[in-house]
Amino acid sequence: MRMSHVRNAVAIGILFVVIAFIYWAVPYFGGWHLDYAGVTMLAALGIAMALMAYVLVAGSPRE
Amino acid sequence: MTDRALTATAHGPLDELAHDERGGISNPILGMLLFITSEVMFFAGLFAAYFASRAAIAPWPPTEFEHTLEPLGIVFPATVLLVISSVTCQIGVNAIRRDDRSGFIRAIGITLVLGIVFLVIQIYDYGLLYSHGLTLASGPYGTTYYTLTGFHGAHVFGGVIMLAVVLYRGMAGQFSARHHDAVEGTSIYWHFVDVVWIGLYLTLYWLR
Repeated sequence: MRMSHVRNAVAIGILFVVIAFIYWAVPYFGGWHLDYAGVTMLAALGIAMALMAYVLVAGSPRE
Repeated sequence: MTDRALTATAHGPLDELAHDERGGISNPILGMLLFITSEVMFFAGLFAAYFASRAAIAPWPPTEFEHTLEPLGIVFPATVLLVISSVTCQIGVNAIRRDDRSGFIRAIGITLVLGIVFLVIQIYDYGLLYSHGLTLASGPYGTTYYTLTGFHGAHVFGGVIMLAVVLYRGMAGQFSARHHDAVEGTSIYWHFVDVVWIGLYLTLYWLR
């Protein structure tokens, strides 16, 4: 399995979005205080981390 | 820049970007992608402040501004223009990839004009909103609205400057199918600005 494949960068992004979803869902269904700022930042972190991973993939020599 | 720095590779989703002959991405595009990554977190902070304010304040929007931000008002054609400008920008990039310099200049010129028109509409819209009483001092609703759209407008202004430089350099014959990293970088930035605006438009105008 090639670690430098673009789909791995996408998977990293999705991982953070899933964490953001859990961070939203647990207090929402549990009836606790919901931290919308944290949810937003985690979801955006998914985009940023996916981009960072993409940069690493794209910047890696193919030799 | 040497010829070695811009050898196209054969397969894969990264192939349309400039690479060196070992497959590494070119420095200008790498820098732009890193910059955009930081920009994602910058706007994330602004969005986070907006959602936190929105969750803490009821009713949202405040009663006196319930019908101030109209989704299908003047901001709608501005949004359409910005989306079209992203398309024309990509047409310009595709043209220079084919070494079609006149097509490239035409498309980037149209993109530049559309960007300027968007800014003019935004300034006009600010005037309308001020006349309706929505100002920076209108509590968290006004503050978050003007901060989000104002920073986005500043980014559009930056993109317009970049497009103007790319257009000038294109008219001076400085770009070709092999050498156009600045065009690719500017295009990536412009698409990012467009996507951020769509997020802003949906959040500020449609999310009730």
